Amino acid sequence: MCRPFHFLAATATLLLIVAGGCHRADMSKPLICIVVPSQDNPFFKIEADAAAARALALGYRVRIDVHDDDAYRQDNLIDAAIASNAAAIILDNAGADSSIAAVRRATKAGIPCFLIDREIHADGIAKAQIIADNDQGARVVAAEFVRALGPQGGEYVELLGRESDTNAQVRTKGFHAVLDGQPTLKRVSAQAANWSQSEAFQKTETMLQAHGNIRGIISGNDTMALGAVAAVKSSGLTNILVTGFDGSPDALQSIRSGSLRATTLQPAVFIARLAVDEADQFLKSGNTGKPERQIIPCDLVTQDNVDDYADFEKVR
Amino acid sequence: MTEHLISPGRSDRLATSSVRALLFLLRARAVLVLLLLLILFSALAPSFLTANNLSILSKHVAISAILAIGMTFVVLTGGIDLSVGSVAGLGGMVAGYLLTQGLPFGGSVHYPGVLVAILIALAVCFAVGLLNGWLVAKAGVAPFIATLGTLYIARGAALLLSNGKTFPNLGGVAVRGNTGFTLLGQSFLLGIPLPVWIMLVLFGVVALVAAKTPLGRHVYAVGGNERAARLAGIRVPRVKLVTYLVSSLCAALVGLIIASQLEAAHPATGESFELNAIAAVVLGGTSLMGGRGSVTGSLIGAFVIGVLSDGLVMLGVSEFWQMVIKGTVIVLAVAIDQLQSRLQAKFLPYLLSASPEDAQ
Repeated sequence: MCRPFHFLAATATLLLIVAGGCHRADMSKPLICIVVPSQDNPFFKIEADAAAARALALGYRVRIDVHDDDAYRQDNLIDAAIASNAAAIILDNAGADSSIAAVRRATKAGIPCFLIDREIHADGIAKAQIIADNDQGARVVAAEFVRALGPQGGEYVELLGRESDTNAQVRTKGFHAVLDGQPTLKRVSAQAANWSQSEAFQKTETMLQAHGNIRGIISGNDTMALGAVAAVKSSGLTNILVTGFDGSPDALQSIRSGSLRATTLQPAVFIARLAVDEADQFLKSGNTGKPERQIIPCDLVTQDNVDDYADFEKVR
Repeated sequence: MTEHLISPGRSDRLATSSVRALLFLLRARAVLVLLLLLILFSALAPSFLTANNLSILSKHVAISAILAIGMTFVVLTGGIDLSVGSVAGLGGMVAGYLLTQGLPFGGSVHYPGVLVAILIALAVCFAVGLLNGWLVAKAGVAPFIATLGTLYIARGAALLLSNGKTFPNLGGVAVRGNTGFTLLGQSFLLGIPLPVWIMLVLFGVVALVAAKTPLGRHVYAVGGNERAARLAGIRVPRVKLVTYLVSSLCAALVGLIIASQLEAAHPATGESFELNAIAAVVLGGTSLMGGRGSVTGSLIGAFVIGVLSDGLVMLGVSEFWQMVIKGTVIVLAVAIDQLQSRLQAKFLPYLLSASPEDAQ
């Protein structure tokens, strides 16, 4: 059964793959570590790429790491950044409370941390916390949802994000701050689809069966909204309007084609660049010149202004 | 005891038949649970028992059922395939890549037709199955470890294909001649969704292979006692290889169906699907030790899980409770499975002595 040649061939292939995946960099430049939740979500991918591009342009070396929303893994990545003697860390963290210790450790080791997209529940540790205003974003998209449904209102369902995620809670609170004041609107069901398109597709199909008079679907992010759009289409229904959140490229395309009513665009690219600029400023002068907490408003995107946006930034 | 053989007493006959009834109930537990759930949800949710909803329900079930059908052979040989979710994601991404990005060919970009794209996606997943089979059967790596490795490899490959992005608009472009991919997940045949037909055909083929062909017998033999199977002249590595190929191909079909339904291929599609498939197989009474179980059981198991999750969504039960309830059903089912085999072993001599004419 034992075939040394096979094993040798397999090992050689593996080494080749690994070697191909490695990049060379100029080791003399200072390093900026960028840590984001995942790279299979276009939002985090574009965010990380924007930060990396700006850091490279400013003459830094860049490393991008992914913590998969796992606070333990994030801990290890921060340790790795400390060990590699990084000049600064740009972090989209893995939890408002569970990330405090890691940020504190990096700061104590003399590495300034600049938080983007998600905040932590502590002040004075990170050099900056630059986040999109999820509450305001949720309110403007909910207002558009109400406006689009018109004075007769009707029944609607809600798709929630991963219930352990802070932003999922902030968004649903923002939605309900607007929606619960509308006497004609009635939420008949709410399901967590965990930010996933295929899960949202199945759950929406089922909810559409259970409730025959649904007129609207309000979703905690764009991928779930697109799953809901596909479910509405497969159920052969029309006149059900769907809204999303994030402003992903796919969502913008659906808004252009009319299948998605509205979304709210998080200025992820702007925030990522701003964080790198402030890091650069801090490394050169010892001060960012800005308050720690900076909240950047989101933009409502509908068919009227969809051409002004692309890849999580305003282009016009 | 000889009197019993000739004419069992009245009380003995009663006891025998009640033991038989108990054992039958335990053996048919998956069907019973399914019926119970159907009755429960029909009573609680008014639109549950409508033709339209049952059609949508079976479409949802088809996803985990196809994975479970493919996984059954693997589990019957005593193995496990953790890579199916990732392989499903990879299959969808390969098709998505070919349909939206095309292949650079001689300086220009060539867009393959839908059928070619599907075949290439199946071929790529076939290669993953080949790797799984080779690792398990030839290299002697434990199935859990081998398929855990390919789980990561396939997921990484899916992410590399698009650099993490989604391939949208898989409907195709008429000019490129690659429209029609959406038919796979969205079309109907005789009023029943195509994915359900795919599930039924796969079920038929695999059940037939399991019951009527030498390969099916060999799968059970390898799982029952691998050493004995080898001594009996069965080519164990080849049997194992085939089971992993079947599993990967079923997974690829699932990935293609999902991509077709959503008209988009997302690299994270299929995460944790392997757990649903394993749960369906186990609910259906297939032993993780191998050698015992059936494809029919896996299909019923998939229906139990599907009915449960869709029914709970219709009732508006929160995600957290859904997870608790699903876990409880799985654990109970396997506990009853253990109870059944123990009771059967305990009562077997009694049943044999009570009614020799039935115990051939």
